[in-house]
Amino acid sequence: MADFITYSFIGLAIGCIYALIALGFAIIYKASEVINFAQGELLLVGAYVASYAMYTWRLAFPLALLVAIAVTVAIGLLFERFALRRMIGRPVFSIVMITIGLDVLLRTGVTVRLGATQFLNAATPFGSVSQVRLGGVVFNDIDITIIAATLVCCAALFLFFNRTRYGLAMRATALDQEAALAVGIDVRTVYAMAWGLAGAVAAIGGVLLAARQGSGGFDVGLGQSALLAFPAIILGGLDSIPGAVVGGVLIGLTYGYASGYELRVSWLGAGFETVAPYLVMLVVLLVRPYGLFGSRKVERV
Amino acid sequence: MSQQPPPPPRGAAPAGQSLLQVEGLTVRFAGVTALADVSFSVARGELFAVIGPNGAGKTSLFNVISRVYQPVAGRVTFDGRDLLRLRTHQVAPAGIARTFQNLGQFPHTSVLDYLLLGRHARMRSGILLGGLFVGPTRAEETRNRAYCLHLLEVLGLSRYRGELLGNLPYGLQKRVDVARALALEPRLLLLDEPVAGMNLEETNDMASIILDIKEQLGVTQVLVEHVMAMVMGIADRVLVLDFGRVISQGEPAAVQANPDVIRAYLGEEFSSSTSGAQAGADLNG
Amino acid sequence: MSTPAPSEPAAASALPRLLGTPRRRGLLVGGAILLGLVFLFGGDSWLTILDYTLVAGVGALSLNVLSGYTGQISLGITFFMGIGAYTTTLLGGDRPMHSGDPVGLALPFVIWLPASGLVAALAGALVGPVALRLKGFYLGIVTLALVFIGQFLFKRLTFVTGGDAGRTAPSPSIGSWSFANPDPIFGIQLTSNQVYFLLLVLILGLSSLFVGNVMRSRAGRAFQAVRDNEVGAAIMGVNLLEAKVGAFILSSFLAGIAGSLWVAYPAFSHPVPQIWDLVLAIQFVAAIIVGGVASIWGSILGAAFVFGLPSALDQFSLVPQSAGGEGIATGDLNALIYGVMIIVFLLFEPAGIIGLIRRVQALGRRLDDRRKGGEFATAPRPNPATPDADDGAHVAPELDT
Repeated sequence: MADFITYSFIGLAIGCIYALIALGFAIIYKASEVINFAQGELLLVGAYVASYAMYTWRLAFPLALLVAIAVTVAIGLLFERFALRRMIGRPVFSIVMITIGLDVLLRTGVTVRLGATQFLNAATPFGSVSQVRLGGVVFNDIDITIIAATLVCCAALFLFFNRTRYGLAMRATALDQEAALAVGIDVRTVYAMAWGLAGAVAAIGGVLLAARQGSGGFDVGLGQSALLAFPAIILGGLDSIPGAVVGGVLIGLTYGYASGYELRVSWLGAGFETVAPYLVMLVVLLVRPYGLFGSRKVERV
Repeated sequence: MSQQPPPPPRGAAPAGQSLLQVEGLTVRFAGVTALADVSFSVARGELFAVIGPNGAGKTSLFNVISRVYQPVAGRVTFDGRDLLRLRTHQVAPAGIARTFQNLGQFPHTSVLDYLLLGRHARMRSGILLGGLFVGPTRAEETRNRAYCLHLLEVLGLSRYRGELLGNLPYGLQKRVDVARALALEPRLLLLDEPVAGMNLEETNDMASIILDIKEQLGVTQVLVEHVMAMVMGIADRVLVLDFGRVISQGEPAAVQANPDVIRAYLGEEFSSSTSGAQAGADLNG
Repeated sequence: MSTPAPSEPAAASALPRLLGTPRRRGLLVGGAILLGLVFLFGGDSWLTILDYTLVAGVGALSLNVLSGYTGQISLGITFFMGIGAYTTTLLGGDRPMHSGDPVGLALPFVIWLPASGLVAALAGALVGPVALRLKGFYLGIVTLALVFIGQFLFKRLTFVTGGDAGRTAPSPSIGSWSFANPDPIFGIQLTSNQVYFLLLVLILGLSSLFVGNVMRSRAGRAFQAVRDNEVGAAIMGVNLLEAKVGAFILSSFLAGIAGSLWVAYPAFSHPVPQIWDLVLAIQFVAAIIVGGVASIWGSILGAAFVFGLPSALDQFSLVPQSAGGEGIATGDLNALIYGVMIIVFLLFEPAGIIGLIRRVQALGRRLDDRRKGGEFATAPRPNPATPDADDGAHVAPELDT
């Protein structure tokens, strides 16, 4: 039972990171119906810049985090302005591919700077990982931080979307682009904002994900492990922000249980946790092709 | 159409019998009723028109017959067969062809290939034989290609056979689309707003093509349109839809005189000259 | 009629064809001569790159069938390539010597090569129906999931794959004549790379011919209609399930063949499960975008630019090394090149290199027309996409039953 609670807690923490990553996808998708396949590498860039700022420039953690956010937001804005804006109206396939092009460039950029097999210390607010014990159950302070950070981010996004002019403009655009144009919302600003927000969320997610890798540090594989957010957004439905959070937590729990219990089920073997979320996603998609919370599109003739 | 037309389709029964029968058709999406209890029947060889203002449910009707939309109630019978039992792709093999309201869906296709695509249901060869391109497949391709080239010639479109659809002007694309639908050798041809967006000359051209299809090929046609003058000039019978309900049906002259029709529809078209103008403007405002 | 008729359509369409064809023929002959020179004098280093490009060409063709012609986004080609590769190692690999060695049946090349395609095609047939329910991004992510699931399986099924350590793949041989160590043919001694090159040219040529034939006949028209508009295609009588599953089967078959040839190539003969990853899959997508979507020559040119060019740059040290001797690693340079190419081509030439070539040809024709005087300069040209539009025109019209 104690194990179960520990695994649940770990799963919840990982799920929170996936929820953050998935939020990045959902924000962009909702505004512009684009899936940003480069989101995972934006996380890597965020983690890399934060680490570099903290250990090479000797900045304090909050400042390093801000620098990382600034960099990923800038990448998001530039990419939206100079690449995606020219792709409006092009086939889905082309749009997927141009974000994959960005993905390749970001990963290669970090690899060239870092080296393919090099590990880097993650930027963390803590000196070293400490643990909290309650009964027989172990909690890592980083996991507690992750859950808290995710709650803060979600609350901030909720307030942004519901209380600010820009947030409402984004929601209006997502609902009906033509109507939004008609009432004077600048759709281009909305797209840019979505990419900026997604960049900021990616930097936070990246720093948290890197910090969770433990004392060994992180490498360029971080971007690929962030791809596990795909099952999360698919589960949640591409265009649902609450769905992204629920999907992220579900995938995190799947991951937590799979990595916790896989050694007891010998035929599954190590590494099962990296495919379990995809298997869950496939099953859900076959039953509900538009995810748990997504809305179905009617195709026109 | 001076040249010899393609032979009439197989199984064309004498005019007068009903080919398509629609009874009590109701279509709803998310609480909006697109069609409410619509009934009519189309006789063999007839040119039947469905008119109504935008949003009246005309295209929804075609989408039910094409098996794209699933009605909540009603029956659709084609030549004695229950059409609602078919899947979308089984409608064309049954002998029903349809033109598209929105063009530009197949911009990279050449005119000739588009006609061959229209004959898809009349051809057989699959991937393996197609890839080897031997024997029966080669013969089938050659035969059908010749048929489509002939059809293009009959319709005066031969010189565009190699052009990509996306490079053709709008009016020409509409004519090619009709040719593509005819390539199936359909027993029923559904024309979805064939003259929408056309100028007067193009409209007249299209009207004469539609009449030729009726008179020379004997193909039964259902026409959805909101360009009144053209419909009234060529249709045998007219059905008027408004907000998904049938408000009138019969000979063009009778329908045109129906006060409900004037109020719901003609008011919009002839707002300056008809007595129903005010009512029509109110309804559509 | 509302559209003005060109004055002399027959003459106008005949002229550019006469001028255009020798140019295209010249290009082909030139290419063949170049290949012949590399074949004879290029040595192993050039031939390795060429062989690599040709294998990648089969893979790019496979992806173009599915994504380019049929419009089904796939990031999962390496899953099917892996299945082909491990069918090859299972059927053609050496019989186990010790307990714990991976299983191998030591069957001949003529069995394992087609079998690799067929087993991959079977996997494609099983995945294909998913594409009926899932579209666009969703299908892309599902195929991405296949890559991860595939890698997990390849690592776990050690009795076939050798697990993380990999296993040795068979080299093609016909009877006792081996491609890895060829005996002289009619007294001519060719190297392994040379005979493998001949084999690959044959296989890529046949595959291209097959795909080209499919795309100009009924099944291929259905694929392309499904790509352009699914509902419209279904209304015209295209069975979407049949078309999508058909495209998956054909594409997976070719991917299986490509995977088999990839591991059977003597230089790569010890495959490890890690090679069938997402990065390789994305390279293939880059190849069809750079070369040309829905184009056979585009697939081949794309493979040359995305797979061949970086290896050539690397092999011949055409990239300046940095002072510290730390230069960019091969893989990174490769990624940098195709990453930039993806973005540049999508932004500026969505039709890929083949589109660029067509544009240059059109420009050449226009210049020719102008040189001949204004008479033909204004007449419409026949579209290069269907140069043989009048084939079959002389056959008597006849109804298909």
